[in-house]
Amino acid sequence: MEYVILFVSAILVNNFVLSRFLGICPFLGVSKRMSTALGMSGAVMFVMTIAAAVTWLIQTFLLVPLGLDGFLQTLSFILVIASLVQLIDIVMKRFAPPLHAALGIYLPLITTNCAVLGAAVINMKSGHGFFKSVLFAFAAAIGFALALLIFAGLRERIERADPPRCFKGVAISLITAGLLSLAFMGFSGLVK
Amino acid sequence: MKTTSSPFVFSGGIHPAYHKGLSAGEPIRAIDLPPHLAVPMSQHLGAPARPVVKHGDHVKRNQLIGEAAGVISAPVHAPVAGKVTGIGHTAVTAAGRTCEAVIIEPHTPADAETLAPIADWPRADKAALLARVGEAGIVGMGGAGFPTKVKLSPPAGKPIDTLILNGAECEPYLTSDHRMMLERAEGIRIGAEIIRAVLGAKAVRVAIEDNKPDAIAAMEKAFAGMAGDVAIFVLATSYPQGAEKQQIYSVTGREVPRGGLPMDIGCVVENVSTAYAVFDAVVNGQPLTHRVVSVTGDAVNTPSNLLVPNGASYADLVAACGGLKCKAAKIISGGPMMGFAVNALDVPTGKTTSGVVLLSAARAATSGYTSQACISCGRCVEACPMRLIPSEISQFVEADDIEGAETVCIMDCIECGSCAYVCPAHRPLTQHCRRGKALIAAKRAAAAAKR
Amino acid sequence: MDPVITSVLVPTLCVGGCGLASAVALGIADKFLSVPEDPRVQAVLAALPGANCGGCGFAGCADYASAIVLHGAEASLCAPAGSAGAAAIAQVMGQAPGAAAERKVALVLCCGDETEAVRRAHYNGITDCAAAHATAGGDKACAYGCLGYGSCARVCPVNAVRVEKGIAAIDKEACIACGKCVKVCPRKLVKLVPASAQIHVLCSSKDKGPAVKKVCGTGCIGCHMCAKKAGDAIVMDGSLAVVDYAKELKDTEIIAKCPGHCIRKA
Repeated sequence: MEYVILFVSAILVNNFVLSRFLGICPFLGVSKRMSTALGMSGAVMFVMTIAAAVTWLIQTFLLVPLGLDGFLQTLSFILVIASLVQLIDIVMKRFAPPLHAALGIYLPLITTNCAVLGAAVINMKSGHGFFKSVLFAFAAAIGFALALLIFAGLRERIERADPPRCFKGVAISLITAGLLSLAFMGFSGLVK
Repeated sequence: MKTTSSPFVFSGGIHPAYHKGLSAGEPIRAIDLPPHLAVPMSQHLGAPARPVVKHGDHVKRNQLIGEAAGVISAPVHAPVAGKVTGIGHTAVTAAGRTCEAVIIEPHTPADAETLAPIADWPRADKAALLARVGEAGIVGMGGAGFPTKVKLSPPAGKPIDTLILNGAECEPYLTSDHRMMLERAEGIRIGAEIIRAVLGAKAVRVAIEDNKPDAIAAMEKAFAGMAGDVAIFVLATSYPQGAEKQQIYSVTGREVPRGGLPMDIGCVVENVSTAYAVFDAVVNGQPLTHRVVSVTGDAVNTPSNLLVPNGASYADLVAACGGLKCKAAKIISGGPMMGFAVNALDVPTGKTTSGVVLLSAARAATSGYTSQACISCGRCVEACPMRLIPSEISQFVEADDIEGAETVCIMDCIECGSCAYVCPAHRPLTQHCRRGKALIAAKRAAAAAKR
Repeated sequence: MDPVITSVLVPTLCVGGCGLASAVALGIADKFLSVPEDPRVQAVLAALPGANCGGCGFAGCADYASAIVLHGAEASLCAPAGSAGAAAIAQVMGQAPGAAAERKVALVLCCGDETEAVRRAHYNGITDCAAAHATAGGDKACAYGCLGYGSCARVCPVNAVRVEKGIAAIDKEACIACGKCVKVCPRKLVKLVPASAQIHVLCSSKDKGPAVKKVCGTGCIGCHMCAKKAGDAIVMDGSLAVVDYAKELKDTEIIAKCPGHCIRKA
């Protein structure tokens, strides 16, 4: 039950994009088209889950024993996540070209996605175990994907819906994002 | 022979004001011969006919003046005896295209020729009857103008079991088919028998909307003696009841598959006027050179149903109706729902001109369309007889997103105009669909040309 | 060991070690697992601003670059790079004529604006030239003139087309000669002409003089005057004067002399 609650709350109640405001740059940047949003979502899910596992190992076996987790956490996580993403990119390009093509440019872009780092840091703060960390990161990634896909769908329609000229483009997108965020506030209280 | 009301009701559709009373009571009358006729070479769907006469030639009535240029094409005959005074370009035909036209100045003696009548048609060869339909230049007279010979020769794998005679005439204002059914019922019946024989169809269904009880009575009387499975189907008055796919559903309950044709489900729909033309061509040897045109609308002095030689201009028709009451703010070639607006009266009539509607400024919406935003009320979705989502289609087309428009099935649109009619935001939905379809057709043609 | 030194040394070694390990891993991976890439992608990427703004609709500059090279995306989608960037990309892709070739610009060959050209009907439909043209041949009395419903303006990627006084006008400086307006015009009025050309016949009507005069105050009436004056730089296509841009045309006198007032500097 605990895991279910963790899963649901990470997706809906504490949605990374719409409640915690993490990962806003890809949320606004690659939500113009449904197809690109799908690619980004897949890449984020992949990287976030693996990054959670690796950062948990670093934290538990390197930083905590050396007593460095207080001040080196962010720095070492960024370092590890960045190189991990690059490594995955290279390996995937070689061994799984179709998957690499599907995720495309989104893989390296995630290097700078704060949602990935955010998931790792939140994991450590909450003292999650290994399995719980991975599950939380995966759920958070689904939440991210959900928000991104909904937003991409909305933007595609708004693009055609002829808004007033001063609202066209980014302006109406930001308003929509705000309304979407308000809508997700409705989930608060779903999980205690 | 029985009369039934249809158990099937197609989804969507609208009920515009019909205004048929203006001309429904006017018997068909022939107009005086105009000083010259500009007979268009494209009075049908497909390749325009090739003129076979030249400047200065004398032609007899019914003489071939344009030969069919391809499989989907139809020959054109001279409606009067006269002298060819030129072969020019018409500004626009009744179908909104431009094409070549043979200009004929009628003269006396009014000598004529005809095709050889096939008096013994019940025992005639099918192929001979079909050939006659082709050489008489018969095309669908409901509006689209698809060559009837092509329609009556389905491929071997597609047997036709039902012939539907379309007497719905769902377009507002128009009454030409209505008058044909009242005054030429016997000819329509014989035409139907000939078409049935050509197709080898078992069932014949005459479809008429229930707002024309006199036409129903006339057809009942005419078809009473016809052998075989024959029935008059009384359809609910609803636009577009006369559209092929909707009519087939109303009569048989069958649906034409997406991208398919009526023959895929064993049906052929022919307009009642087309059936009469078939009778005239086979029994009298008369090619299709004249047709009945409703000239109506509130700007016309005496709305009438006129028997008109092809190539007479709208101005000749209006003159035959006693001229105009007031300035016509809008001239519609065809009915107000699916017709084309034209900007002058020098347009020649053709085989598909079922009517000319002239509206005063008070009646015509000449400034109604705006491109306001869609308010997402969904009325167009309810009205669409093809069960499409016109609001979405129009937004895709407005955004020039042609691929997107294809995903919402724009190519299934029949351009009936119901969506634009009901739109409370006055969005030109049908026009967007039409533009989108044209863009897609152009794109496909370009892709085909590349290959 | 001194605790101060330890407290500096341990974290330094820790992060440095992590970094070194990652670097070695990446280096090895790059060496043994790298996949050859189309060099043009890098070249196109260099021509893009690198802001990763996503304004083109792709996920960043690198994605857009590979889309251009591998999937044939259009080179003119990047607004920050502007026309110069688009030209640079086109050059990488081998689409543009060499740098030595003369710059071209689009020009609308009609000057019959609303004060000069007659409208024979009132068009009430969607704002699109092709749609207006298909509705009984358009509302303009001249069957060749610009309808002014701005289809060209809508397809222009650099907003170089404006509809003013009922006809389209193209900003010479902004035009990147992409040819989209040329394709979209239902009356084939837009032509690509050399940017250096100064004098143009702004009419496309092939009608005879009296017919042109009836519908437009600034149409070519086919008087041959300019063709005689300009030598072979203006040729007659039936009753329409057409500038031959391959020849030099400097004689500004014909502008004032044209009785149709359709020879203009632009």
